Amino acid sequence: MAPSSPSVADTPSQSSTPLTSDNDLQPFFVLHKASSQRKDKASTRQGKVRKRNELSLSSPQSTKKLEGSMIEECDHLLFQQLKIEAFGNVWTKIESTIKEVLRDLNASVFNDIQQWVLECFNATASIGELGVAEATRSFPALNNTNLGKLFTALVITRNIEFVDDILTFEELGHFLKSQGCHVAVLSSIEFSVKNGIAGCLKALLREFIAGAIDVGTSELVYYKINFIYFCCLLYFFPFLNAVINQSADISILASWYREQDHYNKPLVLIINDLERCCGSVLTDFILMLSEWVVKVPIMLIIGVTTTVDNTRNILPSQTLECLCLSKFLLGTPAEKMDAIVEAVLVKQCTTFNIGHKVALFLRNYFINQDGTLTSFIRALKVACLLHFSVEPLSVIHGRLAEDQKEKSALSPETMLKYMDELPTDGRNQMVDQTGKSMAQSLSELLTVRKLWSTAVLCLHEAAKYSRVRLLDLFCEVLNPDLYLSRDSDCRVGNEKESGLSSTGDPCQQYSVMQSSTFICQIVRKVRDLPSGRLHQLIKTWEKLTADVSEIHEKLKMFQSSVRCEDEKSSRKSSKDIPKRNASRVSPYADKDSIMLTSQAVSFIDLLVRNYTRPIECMPFHEIFCFKDVEKLQSVLIGDPRSRIQVDLLESYKILRCSCCNKSGNAILPSKHDSSIMYSLAQEHGDLINLHDWFQSFRTIVLQPTTKRKQKTKQSSHGFGDQNEASIQAVTELQITGLVRMPSKRRPDFVQRIAFGL
Amino acid sequence: MDKDGASLLPRRTTRSLASASNSVPDRKVNSLGPLTIDDLLVGGDSISLDDLISSFPGRSSQILQISHLLGPLNSPILPLFVYGGSSTGKTSIILQLFRHLNRPLVYSSCRTCYNQRILFESILNQLLLHRKNACNGYSNAKRCERPSDFVNCLREALTNVINNLKEKSETQRGIGNMIYLVFDNFQLVREWDKSSTILPLLFNLYDLLKMPEVGLIFISSTSPDTFYSNMGYVEPIPVHFPDYTDGDIRQILLRNQPNQNLYSSFLKVALSHFCRMTRQVDELSTALKPLYEKYCEPLNNKEVIPTGDMKRKLFTLLVETREETKQKGNHNNLKHFEEIGELDFHMSTSAKYLLISAFLASRNPATLDASLFDAKGGSDNRKRKRKASEKVLEKKETLEEELLMKGPGSFPLERLLAIFQCLVSVAEEPYDEEEQKSDGLGVQGGNGGLMNNVLLQLSSLCNANFIYKGRSCPIEGAMRYRSTISEDLALKVTSRLT
Repeated sequence: MAPSSPSVADTPSQSSTPLTSDNDLQPFFVLHKASSQRKDKASTRQGKVRKRNELSLSSPQSTKKLEGSMIEECDHLLFQQLKIEAFGNVWTKIESTIKEVLRDLNASVFNDIQQWVLECFNATASIGELGVAEATRSFPALNNTNLGKLFTALVITRNIEFVDDILTFEELGHFLKSQGCHVAVLSSIEFSVKNGIAGCLKALLREFIAGAIDVGTSELVYYKINFIYFCCLLYFFPFLNAVINQSADISILASWYREQDHYNKPLVLIINDLERCCGSVLTDFILMLSEWVVKVPIMLIIGVTTTVDNTRNILPSQTLECLCLSKFLLGTPAEKMDAIVEAVLVKQCTTFNIGHKVALFLRNYFINQDGTLTSFIRALKVACLLHFSVEPLSVIHGRLAEDQKEKSALSPETMLKYMDELPTDGRNQMVDQTGKSMAQSLSELLTVRKLWSTAVLCLHEAAKYSRVRLLDLFCEVLNPDLYLSRDSDCRVGNEKESGLSSTGDPCQQYSVMQSSTFICQIVRKVRDLPSGRLHQLIKTWEKLTADVSEIHEKLKMFQSSVRCEDEKSSRKSSKDIPKRNASRVSPYADKDSIMLTSQAVSFIDLLVRNYTRPIECMPFHEIFCFKDVEKLQSVLIGDPRSRIQVDLLESYKILRCSCCNKSGNAILPSKHDSSIMYSLAQEHGDLINLHDWFQSFRTIVLQPTTKRKQKTKQSSHGFGDQNEASIQAVTELQITGLVRMPSKRRPDFVQRIAFGL
Repeated sequence: MDKDGASLLPRRTTRSLASASNSVPDRKVNSLGPLTIDDLLVGGDSISLDDLISSFPGRSSQILQISHLLGPLNSPILPLFVYGGSSTGKTSIILQLFRHLNRPLVYSSCRTCYNQRILFESILNQLLLHRKNACNGYSNAKRCERPSDFVNCLREALTNVINNLKEKSETQRGIGNMIYLVFDNFQLVREWDKSSTILPLLFNLYDLLKMPEVGLIFISSTSPDTFYSNMGYVEPIPVHFPDYTDGDIRQILLRNQPNQNLYSSFLKVALSHFCRMTRQVDELSTALKPLYEKYCEPLNNKEVIPTGDMKRKLFTLLVETREETKQKGNHNNLKHFEEIGELDFHMSTSAKYLLISAFLASRNPATLDASLFDAKGGSDNRKRKRKASEKVLEKKETLEEELLMKGPGSFPLERLLAIFQCLVSVAEEPYDEEEQKSDGLGVQGGNGGLMNNVLLQLSSLCNANFIYKGRSCPIEGAMRYRSTISEDLALKVTSRLT
């Protein structure tokens, strides 16, 4: 929208201008200024802008100026609010998408588990139910035909880190509850030596019996009888405490289970993480449960992070015998990751994007450091937050998603002002143009992104055959360098094509420059695919591109050309049908498949060439794309120890004092004691002789300098002073974890702990 | 495990019990009447002594001994101490015997009652005919923590019950006025916190109560010698349940089998091998079950009576399958070394390197580290070799043997980290060069940095039980670790790294 357009008055910022001219708003300002730190950052930027504006303004009338600044301040406030709002919008959308994706992934396993629970329940029921009196008695049931086996499902989470699956098991619990089971979820903390068997029984009872009461209260909430609800709370809490406070005893569970209608539903106990449980406690617990299994037919669902064999390390064979094991596999973290990347970043549930370097960093962090989705999602959130706090125009995000018209809710002047700061390639073109054209180009950007995401999805579909992970593909597709080189390659290829031959194989270009890329792998694999699978692939492509007419038409074109060839060949072959039937591998069929393959390959090539332009190569991408990898790194990987080391060794970089500036790395007596001590420690091996260390420290501190003043100062220093200083320094080093105190064996040596950076 | 014995019951009784419970389709759960003395009886149909003896093969002498010790109706007994290995039928025989005698008993398993308070309260609950339910908040009849309280309450409750019994026995014959306290899994009491007070108390209970109407029966899987029993109380009469003989085991396993002939021919072939490993009936039955299914596979009709010829054929088939599986196993092993399967769970690269270094640190002695990881290690070795005499070589051999015997060794954290750094620096070299070009010192970017968060990785490996934290070394005072992963797993871990 042009700044002079009449619609300006309608925007909220403009409508609030008359208010800002009043003095009433002053306290509001003060309050807000003190509130947030992020605002300060932005305010300095605002200040810069203001200065620039002041310089450029031709009429510096004081009143106007004041008014203008007020408008700007107010704009700024509104801007802040909008930013936070936009972040909230975008992040909630991303989060809910992630949750949905994970739920969908787990759905089939959950259903399997529920099926298993039902089967086990029926199996126990078919053995013959016990009377109440029998079930609550203390001695074992005598008509026990099965050997007291506990039905147990091992759910293998396939990730050594357990964080992600806490949520999974919680959801499994909710799911089973909704399917009408009594569910208790116990974490491994309950099975610790400290808690003992009493602790886990207590937790078990709390989960089951309190859960039952919870169900009652939630029903009451449903009827919205608040008063009764509170009465119930008042009634149940002391009662509950009484249950839990008295000695936890499994006979309580038996009596509870036989009461009312509880015995109609299966009892399921979920134990989060087998590996972290204390083996002996878990053994006792399982043996106790198996003693009661006829009376309390409880089913165990146990999470195992690594392998099933691990159960043998934790539980003795006597206990394993009591378990009737079955196995369920959850999706691997890589699969989950791909699903999340697809939903959030490729399919773009929001307009938020990440740059190549950030994507690469996230990928490496996932593979090398901490293979959990939790940390990935956290990193994404941090990136999102950083983006919104740093990028002035990020406000547009939320609006864009909602409606194209609403996107300039800010006054166009401020928008243009912030646009001034955009260091984008497209700025030069945009400088003299109005906001209208900018809006146009933004919408264009979005349509291009839509094409991009479809192209990447198609590539991913092809990549499934060569086992290339979407995350890797995503990183590669985002790489601007690769794109540029590919682009130039293309041009060369095109020239060659036009000059030399028209039938040049398009995928040859890859083999020249980028033989090791994932896209090249994909192309190679597609070439080797049998025709049946190729048909499958093309069908999925059709489905994927159904909404995107541009790519869909291209695909149709390719297909029609193939079909033409088909028809030709079929016409040919119709003459000699018997021949074709006789030999399956006819030359025509071969030709068909070759045609198909080449078409598929050229379609991929088309996708790669025309539609996989990385976002960083587009104008205005700063608005949607977070690129600042250093900031993200410093947030995610603290690396405190090496930071400390660097700071100690290069303290002059921080202090910027005059004395050290000249000498650089040399150790000067004016340096901080700890810094000197640590620099000296670099000369030693892993053991530092305290005496030598102190001597070298002393020589440095007592270094003869040209200035007299210092000399007189030194003379006042006694031996004790340096001793004290060095002791202090060594203590500091010890506290920071760089040095370990002398051991009993070697009382005059200090051990260095940190080496290298 | 004593439940197994229950499975040995003749099918007849189970069926009748099942039908009894089935005949009451709508269980009136909420309208439970108060418990009566009859609830202290084992219940069920009465069983004759002959049936009892025939249902427990190889246990006739024990059954007769115990029933002699229990004596006729209303005869006081000294405490009994029934002991024998697990799954020798102790609990089942006691319970069935009481079913036969139709006398009241108070049973408490020391596994379910995992501390003295719960044991006390459980006994009192049963004696006071208390039932836990929602109305009383699943609470116990009496709160009782101290042994002295327990003795008082117990005496009170017992006199009540005995009076009841006496009244009842006047009108109705059969139950008598004796009440028996049965303590199952008694060996577990030794592991309780206050076992030094609770054990003498329970053994002394007979003297403390001085009630001739009370009989005490202890059931334990360990012999009375393990209880340090000469403390000045009446020694309980020991009744030993020895392990079953081969013949007994065969008889027990044959019970409940639909096709006795077929199964016995199967047992002839298979049992002797397994009996060498274990004589516990529950273990044997679980081990033999899949094998029997395999044995029956070639047969269409499972009801057939096997002839000699058929037996031979089945046996050869079984042997063949066994050899096949063996060969398969070998084949798998060979394949395994050729192409080691990938890990079937996710692990970060950094954790993988750490696990490998822990494996190396555990399997190699610390003295080898220098030669393995130090660049100058080779030259050092040469010097040593020159000096090496026969004695040194011998020493080395014994050391190696010792290492093998000791299993994976423990190592301090520093050694682990040093090895880790050696491995990672080799792995990361290409990246490092680039980075060092960019800035000399400075904090390294976490681009590929595997060194970050090593301690976090270590803790997650500890959680996965790949590395164990040992106790701190008394001399150095530092924590020591030990990695117990198999070579297989270590190879698997490395498979994707190179």
